[in-house]
Amino acid sequence: MKIEKILFPTKFREFAFEALESLLVLKDVGLREVVLHYVIPREEVGFVPYGGYLKDEEERLREETRIRFQDWQQSLSAHGIGSKIVIEVGDPVPNVLALAEKEKVDLLVVGKKKKTGPELSFVGSHTLQLITRSTVPTLVSKHMVEYESSGQMVTRLNDTIFQRPLLATDWSEPSGRALELLLSMKNVVGSVSVCHVIGVKIAKNLDKSGLHLLEKESRKRLDRYCERLTAAGIPAAPHLGAGRSVLEIIRIARETHATMIMMGTTGKDRLHEFFLGSNSHRVAEASELPTLLVP
Amino acid sequence: MRTSETIITAFTAALASLALPAAACAAGGGGHADMGVSLPLYSVLPFAGMLLSIALFPLLAPKFWHHHFGKVSAFWAVVLVVPLVLGYQGAAVYEILHIVLADYVPFIILLGSLYTVSGGILLKGTLRGTPALNTGILAIGTILASWMGTTGAAMLLIRPLLRANAHRQNRTFMVVFFIFLVANVGGSLTPLGDPPLFLGFLRGVPFFWTFHLLPHMLVAAGILLTLYYLLDRHYYRREGITAAPDDGAQEPIRIEGSYNFIFLAGIVGAVLMSGMAKWGDISILGIHRGVQDVVRDGLLVLMAILSLAVTPRTLREANAFTWFPIQEVAILFIGIFLTMIPCLKILQAGSQGELGFLIAAVREPLHYFWITGILSAFLDNAPTYLTFLSTAMGGFYPGVAESEAVMLLIEENPLYLLAISAGAVFFGALTYIGNAPNFMVRSIAEEAGTPMPTFFGYLFKYSAPILGSVFVVISIIFFI
Repeated sequence: MKIEKILFPTKFREFAFEALESLLVLKDVGLREVVLHYVIPREEVGFVPYGGYLKDEEERLREETRIRFQDWQQSLSAHGIGSKIVIEVGDPVPNVLALAEKEKVDLLVVGKKKKTGPELSFVGSHTLQLITRSTVPTLVSKHMVEYESSGQMVTRLNDTIFQRPLLATDWSEPSGRALELLLSMKNVVGSVSVCHVIGVKIAKNLDKSGLHLLEKESRKRLDRYCERLTAAGIPAAPHLGAGRSVLEIIRIARETHATMIMMGTTGKDRLHEFFLGSNSHRVAEASELPTLLVP
Repeated sequence: MRTSETIITAFTAALASLALPAAACAAGGGGHADMGVSLPLYSVLPFAGMLLSIALFPLLAPKFWHHHFGKVSAFWAVVLVVPLVLGYQGAAVYEILHIVLADYVPFIILLGSLYTVSGGILLKGTLRGTPALNTGILAIGTILASWMGTTGAAMLLIRPLLRANAHRQNRTFMVVFFIFLVANVGGSLTPLGDPPLFLGFLRGVPFFWTFHLLPHMLVAAGILLTLYYLLDRHYYRREGITAAPDDGAQEPIRIEGSYNFIFLAGIVGAVLMSGMAKWGDISILGIHRGVQDVVRDGLLVLMAILSLAVTPRTLREANAFTWFPIQEVAILFIGIFLTMIPCLKILQAGSQGELGFLIAAVREPLHYFWITGILSAFLDNAPTYLTFLSTAMGGFYPGVAESEAVMLLIEENPLYLLAISAGAVFFGALTYIGNAPNFMVRSIAEEAGTPMPTFFGYLFKYSAPILGSVFVVISIIFFI
């Protein structure tokens, strides 16, 4: 598992280019090409009531986008990274997913929500659909975020996202793949925190000795993760948490001054997602840090 | 005085001038039964404004229209509703609630459910466009249109038709004939087929009565399909295609989401049931509606919800399904339905209303066929149908209750209703604005890279010469 090709869909929102720039360090771990993708929403140009299709408007949007992308391409080229422009009319989510599959990209990068509303979610509906359905590792970039902390609004700039990642694991296969991906980025990663949370659902069914046994086993597994990272030359420290998984992961990330959260994601079906939710998706929604989800 | 104050004052004065005569009549004892007699002719201006907006904005200012059509619709609705309520108070509120609850809501529910269910059916596989295959697709679409709505059938088949003919140089005429047949003529047999017929059904026209249009439909479709085949064969030969290109990606033809046909059957059954059952009345906000009609609307919503629940999202995405077109129809039609209240009431008043001259001028079935038709082509066909249904009823049975007048019209003068129905449905194909699916098909075709003629190009190069000839034949056979 190695990041050689990135799909970067954008709506040209504020800090989109900065978010792209923060990924350029990946050249040191093999990044060769970035696919710049813009989807003109079909509703923008099609289905004019009783009128048909705004062909001229489509052309104008294509040209505008091409000019912007060409500017970005210069920057990518200066860093020695190749690029490709794809502009199409359609429905953003399926078009992005289809292109990710067609181009066989190693990483999909999606943006945060334009504004954080009262629900304090950093993830909009399109991004949520993408991280739920993507079959490739997906980074929710969150270049600059504003959030409330201790009653105050805090602005955070996430521009060195690979510096100190926190790998949150539930020992699943996707978590294992997240570890592999992290190992492939050893040249750009400063240090890693590895955490596991003993969730409320598991803990409440165990007596004290059972809990101790689980704690011991969890620490052992955490150590194994850390050993692999250390052996690859990446300093790593284990952290065990207990309680509500999402809140614990966010707490540990803040305490360890993490710059990104990496998690495996199991891609639960819609029904499961609706009733039970998914920890990885909820972390992506609630954390102010960039979140890299590995299916 | 500041500009804004001047505008507000002028607007208020205009509203008051519209309301005053009506208020005087209402004060003189005119209830809602007399509204059509007392309403001034200029009360139809918002309706004309609404329909002209639909006709002209897409041509003159398409980008503005695309982003602001909702505001335009709301503007005309307010221009009508405020003075009408000021003038007629309770009677106006009753008429507004009646048209919304008894006409608009069922209309949108039917269109929405047909659109949702048919959007869950995907025709996949490798089709290679030959004259025979294309004619077959058009024939199938024509048959399906009466059962899944012209919108549903068009959405199901337009993309496969375009894909099948991606290798052909001349595709424009294919889409034009598709609009003629699948998006219009094919929908003439049942109230599910085309919105005007459903509005007729809501006014009391029996479900199967519309089958009386079968001969008219067979003549129109027969001529158009034959002509299409000959044209396609001509172009096919001229393009020098000896064999369809084989890119090695042969995929067998199959229908995905076919269980949605069960929901379509459910929709047909629900509409049929509401036409046959009589389970008494229920009062909603003072408007009496048949229990069977409310049950029907509930069942239609249920069919749409079931379709959404069981159809995988990826299948709808492959169909490029979007809610936008149906939202547009819902937004525009609330404006249409509200602004057409005075027009309908005046026409229902017959010779006593301000449009008595129109009723006197339109006398023969042939007149109804052509006038309903031509206006349907340039305005939307659904309100036009209702307008001329009201004209016919006002002419033959002035002052008679609507449901009774419809039955009398069917029993005593069925040719008039046939002429109105055929005119509204068939002429909907004459322009892009005649029927809602026309612009959806055009939009999809243009997005797929098929060049489509302009509004006037479509009218003068294709529809007027081709459909005009077909309508003359139909007039000679059926209405003279």
